[in-house]
Amino acid sequence: MKLFPRRSTLAAIALAAAGLLPSGAPIALAQGKTTITFAGVTFTEAGRGDRLRSWVDKYNKSQDKIEVQTIGLPFATFANTMFTQMGGGGGPDIIRFDTIDFYAAVPAGRVLPFDDYIKDSDYKFSAPNDYLKVNGKRYGVAFEISNYVMMYNPALLKDGKVPATFDELLAIAKSASGGGNFGYAYRATMAERNGFWQDLCNFVFGFGGRWGDGTNLTLNSPKVIEGVAAYKRMYDSGAIPRGADAATYRRMFWEGKVAIEIDNGGVAGIFNQQAPNLQFLAAPSPFPTRAQGLILAPLTVNANTKNKDAAFAFVKWALQPENQKDLQDILGASSVATVVPRSADDLAKKPWLKIYDDQTPNAVPQLVAGFEVRTPELQQIIIEQVLKVLQGGMDPKKAMDEAQELAVAKMKK
Amino acid sequence: MTALPTPLRISAVVLLLALAGFPFYWMFVTSLTPSSDLFASTPNFLPKWGEAGVYREAFEKIPVATWLLNSLIVAGGTTFLSLAIALFPAYALSRFKFTGKGVIGLSLFATQMLPEAMLVVPLYALFGQLKILNTLTALILANTAFTVPVVVWILKGAIDGVPEEIEEAARIDGCSQAGLVWCIVLPLIAPTLAAAAVIAFFHGWNEYVFAQTLVSSESLRTASVGLAGFVGELSTPIHTVMSIAMIYTVPAIIFYLFVQKYVVSGMTAGGVKG
Amino acid sequence: MSAGDPQGKSLVPRWTPYAFMAPVFFYLLFLDFIPLLNELYLSFTSTSLLTPANHIWVGLDNYRELFRNADFLHSIWITAIYTIACVVFAIGIGLIAALLLDAPFRGRAVARVLVTLPWAAPPVAVALIFTWIYNAQYGVFNYVQKLMGFDAFENWLDTPNRALIAILIATIWQIFPFSSVVILAALQGVPRELRESAAIDGAGPWAIFKAVVWPTILPTVMILALFVTIWSLRRFDLIWLLTQGGPIGATNTLVIDLYRRAFVYRDLGAGASVGMIGLSIALAVTMVHYRLSRRFGAAGA
Repeated sequence: MKLFPRRSTLAAIALAAAGLLPSGAPIALAQGKTTITFAGVTFTEAGRGDRLRSWVDKYNKSQDKIEVQTIGLPFATFANTMFTQMGGGGGPDIIRFDTIDFYAAVPAGRVLPFDDYIKDSDYKFSAPNDYLKVNGKRYGVAFEISNYVMMYNPALLKDGKVPATFDELLAIAKSASGGGNFGYAYRATMAERNGFWQDLCNFVFGFGGRWGDGTNLTLNSPKVIEGVAAYKRMYDSGAIPRGADAATYRRMFWEGKVAIEIDNGGVAGIFNQQAPNLQFLAAPSPFPTRAQGLILAPLTVNANTKNKDAAFAFVKWALQPENQKDLQDILGASSVATVVPRSADDLAKKPWLKIYDDQTPNAVPQLVAGFEVRTPELQQIIIEQVLKVLQGGMDPKKAMDEAQELAVAKMKK
Repeated sequence: MTALPTPLRISAVVLLLALAGFPFYWMFVTSLTPSSDLFASTPNFLPKWGEAGVYREAFEKIPVATWLLNSLIVAGGTTFLSLAIALFPAYALSRFKFTGKGVIGLSLFATQMLPEAMLVVPLYALFGQLKILNTLTALILANTAFTVPVVVWILKGAIDGVPEEIEEAARIDGCSQAGLVWCIVLPLIAPTLAAAAVIAFFHGWNEYVFAQTLVSSESLRTASVGLAGFVGELSTPIHTVMSIAMIYTVPAIIFYLFVQKYVVSGMTAGGVKG
Repeated sequence: MSAGDPQGKSLVPRWTPYAFMAPVFFYLLFLDFIPLLNELYLSFTSTSLLTPANHIWVGLDNYRELFRNADFLHSIWITAIYTIACVVFAIGIGLIAALLLDAPFRGRAVARVLVTLPWAAPPVAVALIFTWIYNAQYGVFNYVQKLMGFDAFENWLDTPNRALIAILIATIWQIFPFSSVVILAALQGVPRELRESAAIDGAGPWAIFKAVVWPTILPTVMILALFVTIWSLRRFDLIWLLTQGGPIGATNTLVIDLYRRAFVYRDLGAGASVGMIGLSIALAVTMVHYRLSRRFGAAGA
């Protein structure tokens, strides 16, 4: 029997591995530079990600003491990965969290208070930044604040009529469907649990419902049930591409196949930059009340950081007016921690910007008031029950009564 | 199945090949279909060769080359380490009787039952203490913990099939026990080694849970994590995603084609016989 | 199982087997078994993913909670169906493929390679292509259904009574080639003369299979069944990326449940207890397998 001919190959791989491994870790460059890491989902986004990286690079070039390395991670697993790393004593130095995860990290002592470094009085923080204070202490500043409004593709709307009520939305979405087009799109699958939650919050908040009143859960309050019933009516309307994930239906919107969606200002910004030929417009979401969900993504500093000063130096840089302005430009229709007025030119070129900005006073974080820390568990219960309504044909009231019962039992634990 | 009528047999083989090959073909066709055509009521069944630029774009705009290199290092390292660790234990399990052999055999098997998701937290802590978090070494070490038992198992089966007389002669010539394994047994079980290498390599190449958690730097990201990052993301064109899926799949297939002729014979000799 | 075997092993020092076993022993001790014991301990505590060093001892509370929970019992049921279907279909199709590819025909070598390619595909890539194939509006899966005259408007991955079938199709596509390679290897051991003499005696193909082929490959099929079972019990990435266990728990296997509890709800204690239950099931299956294979082995010999 002849000798195994691949032994040399294996040895070569081993040598290559041995040679490459030690150089693998991103070790701070020479000249006494401190390297810190900054993780966020936004760095993975088409177009926006690259521009955000160059924004961070501007900081790296502005001084020679600190080097910030960006880490882009997917939305779906971002919090899981961060929490595993932080719990294990590691993780990036600076993290852009979503609110829901921020509220989990604060009570666990996983992010540092800002008070020693950042004084509120030194900055013109916008109102939503107050949500980033826990027991009077600030644990983050907004990296991105993004509202939800209705985006539409006027070319696909019959007679150009823009819906102002939910019934109109249903009718117009139906009339815009057919011939390979869809009138409306949203998420309704467990595989996109977090996105589904955002879309559901818009319906429920729009109908005047809230998940909690600060002390009690209100999952089966009449307004919540109305919102869930509306979600179901849309699901059954035949106007939506059922089961399509956000990446697909946003792309369909981009390609002129979807007429209307309710989406955040970041998405509007991406369409504007990446699909310049898409002439979309925006209008307030057509629900009985103006309340809609809010993406509030804070910059936080990991309590495990060994470079606290460097991390806060970067945060301070990020809060300087000109850097805030650049950031706001990159983020699209979102806004940043401090109040940065839009330029008249921008407002004229992007008519949807004003609609997004005007939504701010009615924006509500996608949390369960009074149970912020436990929102992920409540989210799971609520979504499972709503799926029973959508797919199992369960009556919305019955489903939400059950949700309330399950949730109350769970919260007693 | 020689007894089946030939046309029936051939059509069964063709059907089988079609089913096995279709998802690959579809991945390829989708990667070569522009977004606007993907959203059509009738799917596009043939690749549009004019779209081949999507592959160049993937390499230019997305760090695919880095991902592949990292996956290759992890897979190669896992393969090498698994074979290196497993050889002598496989020999011992095959040739010697000793106290505790049964327990070790069962323990080896039990490792196959452990889900990565369960070990990721303790391993993160362990690797933190060893100061090897955020290195590809960590991934190689973690993956090897799952591949070693299978490799031991397979190699043991192959060594069972090596006649002991061959060893006796060398032993009388004064060869040490370890030298015996290295010089006499190793070459004889080469095909099985290849079969075991395939299993270890695929595990390292495919692994996702550890790669996502134990490594954070983008420069150390593996292809599995890079590709999974597109799931549910914002508006990444589907044909771009499929082109990257293709780029990630092809090296594994090439590797398999390279060693496949050893796989069936290796399995024949190997421990999967029970 | 004692040291000092009579057959010419006296030349080998007593410590040699232990020296040979040492690398694997220490490796698995530190990377598998100590972490496993750590998890076992965690399963009796209430521990947050965010503060894994702070444990509150809760005794059997996590387990009690699980067995009181209908959703958890449902996920055991889903795991059982998923695993059994994987074993039956992956091995069944693998066996058919192996038998087809064992008989000589022109191009056999190429066909053997092509059939086994799905095994080489990374699960993450498999999940992505199947997601697109299943797409309700533009997926080829629904397109074919419509051609065949079915009303196909739903995405199977998103339909409670179809999602499990959908992930099974993807899984079996991916894993049947491994079975076929292994069975093909075992078929090389079927004595040709026996097969031929049976054919001369006028036995039909089915009779030959039953009398000659099956007994020879049975031990292989048994061990293969055990491996497929164990691997299916712990399969994660494919299912997670396709459905995350949904919709309404339709594909919520134990490992998906474990992951969700530990990483989404950040409850390491509950996650660990799910893991321990999964492990107990896997151990029980292995025990049953050993019993069965001993009995079959005796009958087959």
